[in-house]
Amino acid sequence: MVETKYKKSGIFGFYRRKAIFFAIVLAAGFLGWRGLTGNLFLADRNATLTSTISQEAAILVTVDHSGQIFINGKRSGKRVSALSDYDEVRLPVVDESGQYYDRVVITLKLPAAVAYETEHELLVIHGVDNSRSYTSDGSTIVYEANGVSGYATLSIVAKLPKGYIDFPLTEKAKQVLLRIQANVWVGIAIALPLLTLIFMLLFILRQRRSGRIDLPGEEITAPPMLIPPAIVGVLMNQHVRAREVAATLVDLAVRGDIVILDRDRDFAFGKGRFDQRLLGYEKILLTKIFRESLSSDRLEIEKRINNHFYSKKISLVSAGVYAVATRLGYFKVNPQRLFAQYRLIGILAFLVGAGGFALSLLYMAQPPYIIFFWAGMMISALVVAFSASSIPIRTPLGRETMSNWLAFKRYLSSAEPIPYSENLPRIFEKYLPYAIVMDCEAAWARRFIEHNFTLPGWFLTDKSGLGLDDFCLSLFPIISYVSRSLVALREPGFE
Amino acid sequence: MKSSLPSKILYSSGVIFDVARWVILIAVILALVNTFWLTLFFVDGVSMETNMHDGELALLQKNGYAGKSEPARGDIVVVQYPGDPEHRRYVKRVVGLPGEALSVSAGRVLVNNKEIDEDYLPVDVTTEPAGSWTIGPNEYFLMGDNRFASNDSRYFGSVEKRFFLGKVLAVVFPRLRSADDL
Repeated sequence: MVETKYKKSGIFGFYRRKAIFFAIVLAAGFLGWRGLTGNLFLADRNATLTSTISQEAAILVTVDHSGQIFINGKRSGKRVSALSDYDEVRLPVVDESGQYYDRVVITLKLPAAVAYETEHELLVIHGVDNSRSYTSDGSTIVYEANGVSGYATLSIVAKLPKGYIDFPLTEKAKQVLLRIQANVWVGIAIALPLLTLIFMLLFILRQRRSGRIDLPGEEITAPPMLIPPAIVGVLMNQHVRAREVAATLVDLAVRGDIVILDRDRDFAFGKGRFDQRLLGYEKILLTKIFRESLSSDRLEIEKRINNHFYSKKISLVSAGVYAVATRLGYFKVNPQRLFAQYRLIGILAFLVGAGGFALSLLYMAQPPYIIFFWAGMMISALVVAFSASSIPIRTPLGRETMSNWLAFKRYLSSAEPIPYSENLPRIFEKYLPYAIVMDCEAAWARRFIEHNFTLPGWFLTDKSGLGLDDFCLSLFPIISYVSRSLVALREPGFE
Repeated sequence: MKSSLPSKILYSSGVIFDVARWVILIAVILALVNTFWLTLFFVDGVSMETNMHDGELALLQKNGYAGKSEPARGDIVVVQYPGDPEHRRYVKRVVGLPGEALSVSAGRVLVNNKEIDEDYLPVDVTTEPAGSWTIGPNEYFLMGDNRFASNDSRYFGSVEKRFFLGKVLAVVFPRLRSADDL
């Protein structure tokens, strides 16, 4: 029954995680399409609508000292634009009213007696018999249009001399930003991430120099101490990667806690002997793979992976490895916590950059060159978020231990064949998890190529006569696939 | 066990970052391209008939007139309507250049009293209404190719260069034609 249940696929073949991903892609596509269809650039008809209804309209437009524009006493939401040579009122006052007017009179009241120094015109489209604009007194400009169709748009233009509008501080700041040349913004956009990258590189180099690791002169033929392979991996890389999970799985197999079943185009994991000596993170990893059952095949594992966007258990596995390595005194602070802090700074800067980018695009005048600054900020944030994990934080003990493990790595990856001994198969299995975590499993396997190969007891297969090559070609893809898939499920902050 | 506020912030922002970072980055790149380099737009209306048709999809080069590059006579351009720059954009053809005296007389367009060659127009098309205009510095006189049904500089005057959004490079759908063929 359990087997049947686990063999069900997701709804219409979509698991939740994939469904969320495709929903986001679809939403992005929809928004993109909306943006594109918003680009309707008019090649419009010259409308000439007439009506039998005769009316006159009078509209009062007032500009106050701060540049706010009021229409018939109500705030219009528009304001005077500050240009380099003049301050400009440019406003559609009548816009497709749907009503025919014999005559429309728009009176513009200026904040000072500058009407005679102000250039003015009335722009009309879509069915207006005639129009004109004139100055009626020192602070008033009148715009008149006759025979105004219901489709017509009447826009007033007035170019005021500089110095009569006292723009608010926010507007002044906006004007200063808008006056900055495009190439300056592009320069900032390039310089910002470059400077961040240089700063981070210099910082990392300085830390590395102060915490130099002695490269071993000679190899050592046995692990310098009995610590789990995942701890060795995190000591070497300061990071829990897929390799640490893969090495842990193989280590668990070697220790007899699990068996790996290789079937034709399929695989499964089975529970081995019950072992109380499992570390906390190892137990959690096993519960992720097996839950309550005694075995777990590819379909079950894939279902568990695909059904989750994030996995708390896998995050706890990572956290457990970091915690053990820190408790052993290899790191000044828990790497996970330190990287999370940098990552948080990076994420916040990225989101601020993205918000600024979107707001500038929506609300700044065209073209909003300031968006280059925000784009630069976002790239800088990514540089911080992704480079932080390279900052070395090993203690002197950690550096010394790593040096010893590097000496053991020299032994594992040596080109010399291993001399024959009765214990040969046991040696290969025992050190295989360390070879995996130190990225030299192929070199380690090559050292045994000249000897007869005995299939490990924890690797069950339906194929016969498997050599060392075949064993590696069967085992490594399974372990790699499972560990990569599991590691991808870590919650944010655990990467 | 309740998680602390900082870890909640880390988790929430991390989720957003994790899920959205590539979508945001791709959107940012597309927005930069769309804002400063190339964009697609739909032709809406008949004023550019018979060269551009209602509903066609065309490619606009946004920085077509950046720096010292100036619009040339015959270029098809997209401009903001000077009376409502925020909301109305027109696709028109450049007919008159800064400082020129342009007039329409007997159905023909004259620049500095000399008839211009408008080989992009069908043979039988004439231009109305008659009038004359002096084009200011940094201004351009624009007309639609469908002279009988186009709102353009004949009605709202010359357009300052600051209202130019770019130069039409091609019609891309339903039939690909370069701007030189329009």
